[in-house]
Amino acid sequence: MCEKYYLQTEHFTVGYDGTPIISDMEICVKRGEILTLIGPNGSGKTTVLRSLIRQLEPIAGIVLMQNVPMNQIAMEELSRQMAVLLTDRLQAELMTVQDVVETGRYPYTGRFGILSGRDRQIAEDAMRMTKVLDMRDQLFTKISDGQRQRVMLARALAQQPDIILLDEPTSFLDIRHKLEFLSIIQKLSKSQKLTVILSLHEVEFARIISDKVVCLKNGKVDRVGSPEEVFTEHYLSELYDIRIEELTPEFREVVDKMNKKGADYIG
Amino acid sequence: MRNHEKIRYVVVFCFLAACVCTFLAANICIGSVKISIQDVLSILVGRGDDSMYRDIVMQIRFPRALAALILGGALALSGYLLQTFFHNPIAGPFVLGISSGAKMVVALVMVFALSYGIKMTSVTMIAAAFLGSILAMGFVLLMSKAVDKMSMLIVAGVMIGYICSAITEFIVTFADDSNIVNLHNWSLGSFSGITWSHVKVMTIVVIICFLCIFFMSKPMSAYQLGEAYARNMGVRIKQFRIMLVLFSSILSACVTAFAGPISFVGIAVPHLAKSLMQTTKPILMIPACFLGGGIFCLFCDLLSRMMFAPTEISVSTVTAVFGAPIVIYIMIRQKSGGM
Repeated sequence: MCEKYYLQTEHFTVGYDGTPIISDMEICVKRGEILTLIGPNGSGKTTVLRSLIRQLEPIAGIVLMQNVPMNQIAMEELSRQMAVLLTDRLQAELMTVQDVVETGRYPYTGRFGILSGRDRQIAEDAMRMTKVLDMRDQLFTKISDGQRQRVMLARALAQQPDIILLDEPTSFLDIRHKLEFLSIIQKLSKSQKLTVILSLHEVEFARIISDKVVCLKNGKVDRVGSPEEVFTEHYLSELYDIRIEELTPEFREVVDKMNKKGADYIG
Repeated sequence: MRNHEKIRYVVVFCFLAACVCTFLAANICIGSVKISIQDVLSILVGRGDDSMYRDIVMQIRFPRALAALILGGALALSGYLLQTFFHNPIAGPFVLGISSGAKMVVALVMVFALSYGIKMTSVTMIAAAFLGSILAMGFVLLMSKAVDKMSMLIVAGVMIGYICSAITEFIVTFADDSNIVNLHNWSLGSFSGITWSHVKVMTIVVIICFLCIFFMSKPMSAYQLGEAYARNMGVRIKQFRIMLVLFSSILSACVTAFAGPISFVGIAVPHLAKSLMQTTKPILMIPACFLGGGIFCLFCDLLSRMMFAPTEISVSTVTAVFGAPIVIYIMIRQKSGGM
């Protein structure tokens, strides 16, 4: 066992109602690294993430955070170390952007959740980092999806976590917001030594952003390693079961390019 | 908290406090016998000479007005808790059939007690109402697992309410005791016949609940964001949900035990409070709902006594006239999205 891992799993089996979806998963990530989960729809990315953040009891195995089994960490303590950005819509009726970001301070406030000056400062800094400070007084329900995701990231940062888990954070964003969002993540992980685990649909971005890629398929981890190790020739066709014979010649060309260059290709 | 928000909250709370005082005074002064505010004040400080006035104020109107204030607040709070629980603004103890469930068990216990000549105390009334509330609530929760649409859950709740009311009617009709006349008034919803000992019990129960709920305002604010986020922030969801159900049941049980089922206050008041405050923060909404509910019920009770005086109509009729349109408005505004 390496001691330098920030988070690692051992014989981690996850699923619903005792039926495993991903079995015997072993992943590990160091502080400040970005780990990306990829795989076809329904391969279990969300299930793995939900189990890692203790929203779902794992069927077997354990998660170690800095060598401490996660189920021995009190939820209150965990919420100061781990922030999440889920696909569940945050319900924020009548809440401004600032209100939403300030909810990230929850684990640090007292009995009645009154914010101190310091809490406000931290929330403000978080908004600055994700560039949403200028819209702090707008209603959260009235801003665009791209902006909303950046606000959610600010909220997660206000929690001052060591690790942040994101479930398909770019899925509903346009290309500009996808690029901007992932850039912020990449910058933060370097500058703040923030550990990041996220799931992505966009393989091409996974290659750029990740220190480590975990490919899920058929109920297990199919491949794990650095992007260079994982994205070998023809692997993407294999991972996503791309059936070349069903594609028009134009799209076959696209697949050819993808496979040849690994994921050098940006589509 | 920005400055203009702070000012708004202070103004709203001052306004609510002023309304409480005004309506409390109005409910004591106005009636079939008009009593001036000076007379009321001198009676309250113990210097009133007219014993009839004193009896009217001290034995009838004052306890009744206090009951309207406290129970109205309890009802609004109960509704607010249910709305938080279901993440839906049109949940409330009346539409979900919880009030009617409480009514049914209270009627059963009452008729049983009367036929054996046992005197019902306030506490047994609350206990019976609580049992009924929990039964109906359990039913609603079972339903909520089976139906995924909130609108269907409301329909189910209304149906439960009808079934319970039908059973209550049945019991009341066939119970052969003259005391049952009181039961009939009560089963429609009314603040009449409240005594000081009732007020004492309800005050204790409601104040304790209010304080407990107030102390839950922090996890409540997290829960409002969605369960997944609340869990990540360290809220013990299961425990928390049980507490929500428990307190909303105790509060609505307390109301039903003393005043019968009162409609729509639990939905209308939290909505009005939210519109006034322009916030959903529980720490502000909890006291605002309580005061708002008290004012609403004081106002409706005054109307129920005065509109067709000397005939008194049930307070639930009046609250429905004002409350139901608000519920319809919320439903239209909510569109199909949230339902």
